Amino acid sequence: MENVPITTQEKIEDLKRRNAAAMLGGGEKRIEAQHAKGKMTARERIEALLDSGTFEEFDRFVVHRCTDFGMENNKIPGDGVVTGFGRVNGRPVFVFSQDFTVFGGSLSGPFGEKVCKVMDLAVKAGAPVIGLNDSGGARIQEGVVSLGSYGEIFRRNVLSSGVVPQISAIMGPCAGGAVYSPAITDFIFMVDQTSYMHITGPAVIKSVTGEEVTSESVGGAKVHNTKSGVAQFMAKNDAECLEMVRRLLSYLPSNYEEKPPEKHTGDPASRTAPELDEFIPDNPKQPYNMKKLIKTVVDTDSFFEVSKGWAKNMITAYARLAGMAVGIVANNPMQLAGCLDIDASRKAARFVRFCDAFNIPVVTFVDVPGFLPGVHQEYGGIITHGSKLIYAYCEATVPLITVITRKAYGGAYDVMGSKHHGADVNYAYPSAEIAVMGPEGAVNIVFRKELQKAENKDEAYQKLVGEYRAKFASPYRAAELGYVDEIIMPSQTRTKLIRALDVLKTKRTFRPQRRHGNVPM
Amino acid sequence: MAEIKAPMGGKVIKISVNVGDSIGEDDEVAVLEAMKMEMPILCEEDGTVAEIKVEPGQTVEAEQVLVVLS
Repeated sequence: MENVPITTQEKIEDLKRRNAAAMLGGGEKRIEAQHAKGKMTARERIEALLDSGTFEEFDRFVVHRCTDFGMENNKIPGDGVVTGFGRVNGRPVFVFSQDFTVFGGSLSGPFGEKVCKVMDLAVKAGAPVIGLNDSGGARIQEGVVSLGSYGEIFRRNVLSSGVVPQISAIMGPCAGGAVYSPAITDFIFMVDQTSYMHITGPAVIKSVTGEEVTSESVGGAKVHNTKSGVAQFMAKNDAECLEMVRRLLSYLPSNYEEKPPEKHTGDPASRTAPELDEFIPDNPKQPYNMKKLIKTVVDTDSFFEVSKGWAKNMITAYARLAGMAVGIVANNPMQLAGCLDIDASRKAARFVRFCDAFNIPVVTFVDVPGFLPGVHQEYGGIITHGSKLIYAYCEATVPLITVITRKAYGGAYDVMGSKHHGADVNYAYPSAEIAVMGPEGAVNIVFRKELQKAENKDEAYQKLVGEYRAKFASPYRAAELGYVDEIIMPSQTRTKLIRALDVLKTKRTFRPQRRHGNVPM
Repeated sequence: MAEIKAPMGGKVIKISVNVGDSIGEDDEVAVLEAMKMEMPILCEEDGTVAEIKVEPGQTVEAEQVLVVLS
């Protein structure tokens, strides 16, 4: 008990010493090792994420209470996670950043308590929670205490869902049960090559199935951004990842009671795009670049894609129209013909539900030939997964605006933000084809007998296809019925959308009381 | 050896490359017709066309190899 501080000045010096020791986390050697892997430390990440000088830290001196396996002699202030609050673009956020230099970022009871403290406060304050993950998993020496802590975090993830945005960045290992906290949050970012997420790792997989895999091949950033769809964003390195988190936050409100912040780019609301009047190809079989179309319509440089590499036949993105944040859902005719399939339905459904939870209007661009046919789709449960998208649109109470650019066929017409599913304003281009099915298929069914009897089958077929196309493969049947509100000039899309969004700002919807709906999940 | 596969079942209506061609990312290697749509099949990495496994008019299944790159 030497150097016990007695005077106030000594006590202040003592605090400074303690703070300085805590700042070092697991020590300089481990910090060097962290840097050698191309990773920032937990504290450097917080600095990069937040506006400069805004971080306020909690629980810097928390240590574990474990007395097994010699742990009582091995305590590091902070216990492996840095927590607190700060600001991003001037708006408050809560943050926890796992420190791999301290016990490998492993989760102890007190570690979990620190995370829960900021999560609870975030809900009270109505501010987003951002979790930066870099952890070896449960702290084995703590036993079931560690598992209890995970459970406490999961439950808070669920109870905060839809109250405040929750964002996870995976910036190192995230394995076993630890994956489920990020999975429940709204968005997952992953850093390429230095992060992975999996339930069972290479060693367990090898012992059980004999398959030789690496953490990267089973759960790397590329895998989850292209194959599994678990992650929505991929970054080259820590700095880019944190910059992307900041960008995403710029489109989101702080909580479910707020509207997303408006940010004007100077792109005039009245801007027309004459090139769009020549954009849709004459040949209905020829695809075109839907992303380019959307980027032309929205505010300059405001297009920010979500789940870019997974289920590419569906585009989901945030963007702005005259400064107003919107969620964009669009079929992509360049991928799988723009068909709806299991992954595309899941991707768009989750996106629409997030937008609806946080007051972000949804603008849908439709060019869909139908659902992807195939045994694989049926066995995989496309019926259940496709219905998720129906559910998401039908339950949404945010403004819904839909533009049919070309094909809207069959059930897929209904699914993609149709009037019948509650869309507020529905537009179609003159190139739209809104019908039960395409002319070729329809003629084969409707005129089967006539075709059998016809002398020149090919000629008869072409004639009937032409008649069908003229009658049904247009937006005018739907317009006659009021299913679309106006057939618009593509060049006018931007102005039309902005005016509709503006008038819908005060939209109110009423729903019958219930405990909760039963999403076909 | 990289393989370029059909993303979905359909009919090959065009092969856009020849054996020996040097191609890069986003170059069109073939066009597949499915769901009444003509889909360009794009190259994902740089390479030289080593083998063309299908011909125009042929029906292919999802994941069937269309072109092999070396």
